[in-house]
Amino acid sequence: MIELVKATKTYHSGGDEVRAVDSVDLRVAAGEFVAVVGHSGSGKTTLVSLMGGLTRPTSGTVMVDGRDIWTMSNRELSRLRSDRIGFCFQFSSLISTINCLDNVRLPASFLGDHKGDAGRAMRLLELVGLPEKAGAFPSELSGGQQRRVAIARALVNEPGIILADEPTGDLDEETEEDVMDLFEEINLGGVTIVMVTHSSRLASRAGRTLRMENGAVVEEVTRAPRSEYPLSSDSV
Amino acid sequence: MVGIDPDTDFTVRPWVKEGIDIGGLKDDEIILGAEGHIFLGLEEARPGDKVVFYGQEFTIAGVLEPTGIGIDDSGYVTMEAIYGMAQLADANAMLQIDVEPGDISVVMVDVKEGYERAEVATAINRISGVAAVTSRELMSTSVAQKLESLTPGMLLIGAGFWVVTVLMIGALFSMVINERRRELGLLQAMGATRRYVFRMVMLESVELTFLGGVLGLVVGGIVMLTLKGSLSTSLGIAFLWPAAWYVALLVAAYLVLALATGAMGALYPATRASRLEPYQAIRTGE
Repeated sequence: MIELVKATKTYHSGGDEVRAVDSVDLRVAAGEFVAVVGHSGSGKTTLVSLMGGLTRPTSGTVMVDGRDIWTMSNRELSRLRSDRIGFCFQFSSLISTINCLDNVRLPASFLGDHKGDAGRAMRLLELVGLPEKAGAFPSELSGGQQRRVAIARALVNEPGIILADEPTGDLDEETEEDVMDLFEEINLGGVTIVMVTHSSRLASRAGRTLRMENGAVVEEVTRAPRSEYPLSSDSV
Repeated sequence: MVGIDPDTDFTVRPWVKEGIDIGGLKDDEIILGAEGHIFLGLEEARPGDKVVFYGQEFTIAGVLEPTGIGIDDSGYVTMEAIYGMAQLADANAMLQIDVEPGDISVVMVDVKEGYERAEVATAINRISGVAAVTSRELMSTSVAQKLESLTPGMLLIGAGFWVVTVLMIGALFSMVINERRRELGLLQAMGATRRYVFRMVMLESVELTFLGGVLGLVVGGIVMLTLKGSLSTSLGIAFLWPAAWYVALLVAAYLVLALATGAMGALYPATRASRLEPYQAIRTGE
């Protein structure tokens, strides 16, 4: 489903070249739950951003569903981001000027279909346990509640892939568990999840853990798949 | 007191308020300049009021718009009324008027577009006993001359303000885009196309300048209505509202210019915003 071939991303900082992601080869199958761990600056966020087409690799290829996403037109790439991928960021990513319900509906508006109607958005808010916050603005929510609304938003277009960059960062342990339970539930529904985390404890709940150092994947741990995991044979 | 031919007059007509039928001016009616009532010793003049000149009673048919020039201090009646007044003055007035029926002092000539005033004056001067002067010689400080001298300067100042406004909108929206980098990156991450982001920024700018334009029209209108008398007096030029259709045209042109100002000012920031790479925008906007 997602494949990186010799994917490299370099930045220039103060005249120096920084290899945030260094020639990574990686395949993530449909329905997998992958955790990416590593120290700050190891390249985790850049790796996930490459997978989601948020940044262009300096060299190498990023493929989603067997297609090199950087050969797509801007319109096709935008469509891929809205239709196939849901993003959860490591910070509060809600638009502050609209209420929670409209935040959840927002990605659907870019598709121009009716997936994001108010009914569906409400059901997603119920799924994340916040139906009563539909009319509330992000500033009226706690950090944990904002993360859960962001997860609902990531799901509104029924994406096949969720890319989550430290979705539980700065949350208390109880809320962290709630969010992870939600991710597991979503994953059991067949959605591929790639999650960046600092926590080994949280990473242990994924089927596969990748450890990054200096932009490279230096360790890979695969756990015995749970029977519920809908691992499919159509991985690429 | 000026006698005019209501059917052919073109000097008073531009200052006539709506509702006054100058063509239908009767011999016992008078049209007063904006300050004509002062010379009659009245606090104000209202249509329908009666006034007496040289023993002859007139009904005020209307009051002209303020002009800032001599028209304000005058009263306008028909030529027949002037002749009648002159005759009655012999019996009724202390100061006699030497005007016989048929006498005229001035024939105003409205030169058709495409003809030179000087050439027309030369042709008229060939008529024995008639001396023609052109308006420039007659009215060295005329309204037209004042406006002619003021207009280029005002247009230049206006153009300067417009350029500065466009640049300021550009600078303002560049700052706004910088402040909202993360939001723009997030929108792209959620599926917004570059075109969507471009259009969003442009629309915000155009909406802003349109609202500014409407506000400017309202405030400008209030200021003009409030200060029109003072403007006329201090500048010594006439103040007259153009015809309604012309005002509507000006308002429409002004609003279109406001929209264009917003669009031009935001063009560069909007282009820049649409070209942001989502990841960089989100990362640097944190």
